[in-house]
Amino acid sequence: MSISFLKDVVLEKAHAEAIVWHGQSYDYSWLSARIIYWSGRVTSAGIRPGDVVLLQGDFSPNSIALLLALIEQSCICVPLNADRFHERNILAKSALANWIIEIDREDTATIGPRQEEQGHELYDLLRRNGRPGIVFFTSGSTGVSKAVVHDLQKLLRKYAVKRHDLRTLAFLLFDHIGGFDTLFYVLSNGSALVIPETRTPEAVCLAIEQHKVEVLPVSPSFLTLLLLSDSYVGHNLRTLKYITYGAEVMTAATLAKCAAVFPGVKMLQKYGTTEIGTMRSKSEKEDSVWVKIGGEGYEWRVVDGILQVKSDSAMLGYLNAPSPFTPDGWFITGDCVERSGDSLRILGRKSDIINVGGQKVYPAEVEGVICEMDGVADVTVYGEKNQILGSIVCAKVKLSRPESEEEFSRRLRGFCKDRLERFKIPLKVNLSDDVQFDARSKKARRLLSEKADVGNA
Amino acid sequence: MSLNNDLRERALSAIYSAFDLTNSEKGSEGKLVKSEESILFGHGANIDSFELVGLVLSVESNVSREFGVAITLADEKAMSQRSSPFRTVATMADYIVQVIEEGKRG
Repeated sequence: MSISFLKDVVLEKAHAEAIVWHGQSYDYSWLSARIIYWSGRVTSAGIRPGDVVLLQGDFSPNSIALLLALIEQSCICVPLNADRFHERNILAKSALANWIIEIDREDTATIGPRQEEQGHELYDLLRRNGRPGIVFFTSGSTGVSKAVVHDLQKLLRKYAVKRHDLRTLAFLLFDHIGGFDTLFYVLSNGSALVIPETRTPEAVCLAIEQHKVEVLPVSPSFLTLLLLSDSYVGHNLRTLKYITYGAEVMTAATLAKCAAVFPGVKMLQKYGTTEIGTMRSKSEKEDSVWVKIGGEGYEWRVVDGILQVKSDSAMLGYLNAPSPFTPDGWFITGDCVERSGDSLRILGRKSDIINVGGQKVYPAEVEGVICEMDGVADVTVYGEKNQILGSIVCAKVKLSRPESEEEFSRRLRGFCKDRLERFKIPLKVNLSDDVQFDARSKKARRLLSEKADVGNA
Repeated sequence: MSLNNDLRERALSAIYSAFDLTNSEKGSEGKLVKSEESILFGHGANIDSFELVGLVLSVESNVSREFGVAITLADEKAMSQRSSPFRTVATMADYIVQVIEEGKRG
């Protein structure tokens, strides 16, 4: 069974804290009993092994127990963050979900069936082998989310090895492979997962102080926010031993400030992608942007400046996109890297993705929405470096009728509010006459970004 | 001294006019108050990171219109300050004056 390691943890640490949620503590014996309860509930609702179940919620005692119960039942789980309700129908369709389970703020679950006729060869493979699966979404170059299918038996193998028992904050999201990694690292070592009330610097610092958190896994831009907010000043954060970060490029300035603000705390860069999972990694020095990656089951190489990774636990494939693997099985990460001996430095994405605080924005999706506005002749969306958010979304717009920049910016924000997630809405809008009608090319965007960065230097 | 006071007053008005824009897009609750003590970021602040970035961009554009110089407030230099220049209206105004003065000295 994929989660059999948990049985040992429960035997050893039945009364150890497993989850801290809204200030309340849930131990491993509670979790174990809850998994049995949910296994019964999902079975009696008609959910069968191999069924695809979309599980919408945030980290909570019942969402965790339900996820584990579904894995135990050899289902294919599709975790989805609670706030992505407006995308749920589209994503449920992409994942070919048979069931939707929604967990509300009170931690109450509602189970409902979903009509789905279509099958998929990757799902058939999992079902034939009696394996549980998991589906994560990652943005595609056209703005359509790609559904990444993993065989959980393979993905969970690395957690069978015992590592450190450290109280860890659930900062990364429930539907993100980083959040999944946090959860299983914690559970496999019989540690406590501390769930913050919200993911603001203040709430995170409060949770660290109140619940004696030792590991804080974050995105680099959250670290920048944390430093900028001064939230760390009023709190006792001395229990903190490690800050792990990934997903974005970390600036040397932020890293140096972190080392000064959190003396004695080890800064560890993690490397992972939704497709290959999270690799074991080691920063060369605490204030270094150079990192050694790998670990059992992972190999890497650099081809034309781009990192490629080969792994036993890589995804089976995408449900709705062509294979990103080379013919000999290497995953092309799309990350530009610099190599020095067996260390790497991550330089950034090859493509035009704008990384706003760790969240990916594809220009084409934003351009698509702005183009629907009255009076817009053309638009080019590009990223600009920003010290606070890492990058911000900018739009260069050509209008078909006169309007002031201020008035148009206001109208744009109002228009985008209900059509795009907040981090995708352009913060900077420039009106211009010289936007090319064929300017929606990567080259044009890159030129704009480069121009903006030179301007900021 | 009086020159600097004048600079600081103009910096404050650049911040307050950016407040107008931010407030016009906020709900009835949590509007920014035009006071030097108003907390912009960190504990007790009424705005989140996206609003802060929007506010900083709009202050930058007001400053460039008012003073005729293009400045960047959210840069590595701001990050490396011992205390955050975006903590309150007063610290932001001081920081704007500092950036403009340094720009003049070239």
